Amino acid sequence: MEISEQISKDERKRLMIFLVTIVEAVNLEKTYRLGKIPVNALRGVNLRVGSGDFLAVLGPSGSGKSTLLSLIGALDKPTEGKMIIEGVDVSTLNDDQLADLRRRIGFVFQFFNLIPRFTARENVELSMAIAGLNGAERRKRAEDLLEMVGLRERMNHKPAELSGGEQQRVAIARALANNPKFLLMDEPTGNIDSKAAGEIIGLIKKLNEDKGVTVIMVTHDQRLAGQSKRIVQMFDGLIVQEVVN
Amino acid sequence: MKAQDVLSYSFSAIKLRKLRAGLTTLGVVIGIAAIVALLSITQGLQATITRQLQTGFATDTLIVSTRGGFGGGFGPGAQGATNSGFELLVNDTQIINNIANVEMSMAIIQRIGNVTSGEGNLTATITGVDFAEYASIYSSTFVSESGVIPLNPENEMIVVGKRVSDPWKNGTLFCNVNDGVEIIWINATTLPPKKEIYTGHVTAVLKEIGGFGIGGPSDSGVYIPISQAESFFGTQQCDTIIVKLVNDDKTAIDSVSNAIKEAFSDQVSVTSATAVLNILSNVFSVIQLFLAGIAAISLLVAGIGIMNIMIVSLMERTREIGILKALGMKSRTVLLVFLSESVIIGLIGAAIGIASGWVLANVVAIVFSGRGGIGLGNHAAATGGMSITPVLTPTVTILALVFGVGVSAIFALYPAWRASKLKPVEALRYE
Repeated sequence: MEISEQISKDERKRLMIFLVTIVEAVNLEKTYRLGKIPVNALRGVNLRVGSGDFLAVLGPSGSGKSTLLSLIGALDKPTEGKMIIEGVDVSTLNDDQLADLRRRIGFVFQFFNLIPRFTARENVELSMAIAGLNGAERRKRAEDLLEMVGLRERMNHKPAELSGGEQQRVAIARALANNPKFLLMDEPTGNIDSKAAGEIIGLIKKLNEDKGVTVIMVTHDQRLAGQSKRIVQMFDGLIVQEVVN
Repeated sequence: MKAQDVLSYSFSAIKLRKLRAGLTTLGVVIGIAAIVALLSITQGLQATITRQLQTGFATDTLIVSTRGGFGGGFGPGAQGATNSGFELLVNDTQIINNIANVEMSMAIIQRIGNVTSGEGNLTATITGVDFAEYASIYSSTFVSESGVIPLNPENEMIVVGKRVSDPWKNGTLFCNVNDGVEIIWINATTLPPKKEIYTGHVTAVLKEIGGFGIGGPSDSGVYIPISQAESFFGTQQCDTIIVKLVNDDKTAIDSVSNAIKEAFSDQVSVTSATAVLNILSNVFSVIQLFLAGIAAISLLVAGIGIMNIMIVSLMERTREIGILKALGMKSRTVLLVFLSESVIIGLIGAAIGIASGWVLANVVAIVFSGRGGIGLGNHAAATGGMSITPVLTPTVTILALVFGVGVSAIFALYPAWRASKLKPVEALRYE
């Protein structure tokens, strides 16, 4: 409290991440084996993400940003170091606990990863069904979320009947369904046209600023990265630069 | 994830590939239908035969025959010849009558002969019996429909079974009461074989018995007095001796059986009606097991089909599994999703299979009955009309259902397990 009263508003915004840390990577290393050759995808990454943050991870392909994302998303475990999410070391969790943790993480993928045989609404409902919510509750919330992303009129369409931008908005609605601690986005505008990408960027920024949703995003898109609060630059498995916007 | 959500998710996956799911289901349908049809037909057959045996068959009787004559249960009428030279004689009944618990005994001489009437000729089993004693032992089946069974038969009297009187069922009778018939028998024990002719007239036609009986009267039997048979066939040797006991207690059956064997120095075999029923029941159990085993092979093939299709499905849906896991689905729920897909297929397949197996069994039974039944039995020179009513017991129904679902679940276990073990990162990257 004392500290926060002494510093300026801008600085407080920046320092907040140290007050309520959600994601913390400590000397994170990840080694894959491609045949017999070990590949060091991450070589000691340190990172903190606090509540309300909007972090963009930039870097050329092969720099380790997708690996970092899958570790933050508890989809994989590090070879060395610690991946701490909400104070819990991911390495110590068993299969079921990891599944529980993933329910509180909102994934958004480059290729949307919607279930093709389900309608937009059913896709949003699916993540809530997995979390064990009952039918009526799911339906209401799915409709509200789709309204928020501007797809209420098209919620009974299947992914194949939706444009790339619309599909990504369904994916964002799905990611938000279980009130996640943070959104984890992998190239969210990487596979859609620039006009739709602009809308998606606007939506993400609105979610972050108005609803206080924490966003961690991997991107090539300089325009999208420019909208974030912080940019982390990766190269060859290491964070080489950190910029506060 | 709630059970109903798992089910509806699995169902949506099945609906997506209707043709494939349909063909997989068909495999289960065929397997289960084969099992149900075969079991219900054999059970129906067993019920029919057992019922007919119990009516044509007194439970308080023993059948004594020379070893190898009657032995294994029911074969074609025994000719009485033995390798050991032992002969069972007509007047051996006196020895048996002296055994405790025996009410009476009677000898039977049987030969295959040709019967000629004004309408044609038939091959039939000619049986020499004491009419009075036979009627007393088989009081429910050795009963006349027309004419009178003479208790003190004069010579040349013949009693015929229903099928001998009316073999063609077209209104023309082969012979009727008071008709004269000729029995021709070739005596092959002399050289050269001698043709013997017995001329008599029909005094009674038996009431229809149905099927067959062991030792007892048959629809296709021709009966002549035992004294006539002795002179006609030129022998004192008999094929079987029917023994009537004072009651049908197991102790009486066992003690008399042993006493008879002892009296004839173990040269005879003694078969009790109850024992024959038990043997028959055992034979049917083996037949059922064998048929069900064959049918089970088709279900096994169906199971392999399920496994194959689930593995293909696993490959196709690797990415989907990755998505589910990223959304927080637990491994065991992924396993359940895959298992329940297969169980739904198994359940639908088993239900359709039971219904179509039942229909199939009835169709087969109708076709079978239409051909005039099956010619099993002791005296089956002509066919005894026997209709089979398929029997589908609740046990078979439930077992078929459990079996269908079980096979589906077991063969889906491996693909489902592999699906549940997929690593989310790798599954999501899968193209």
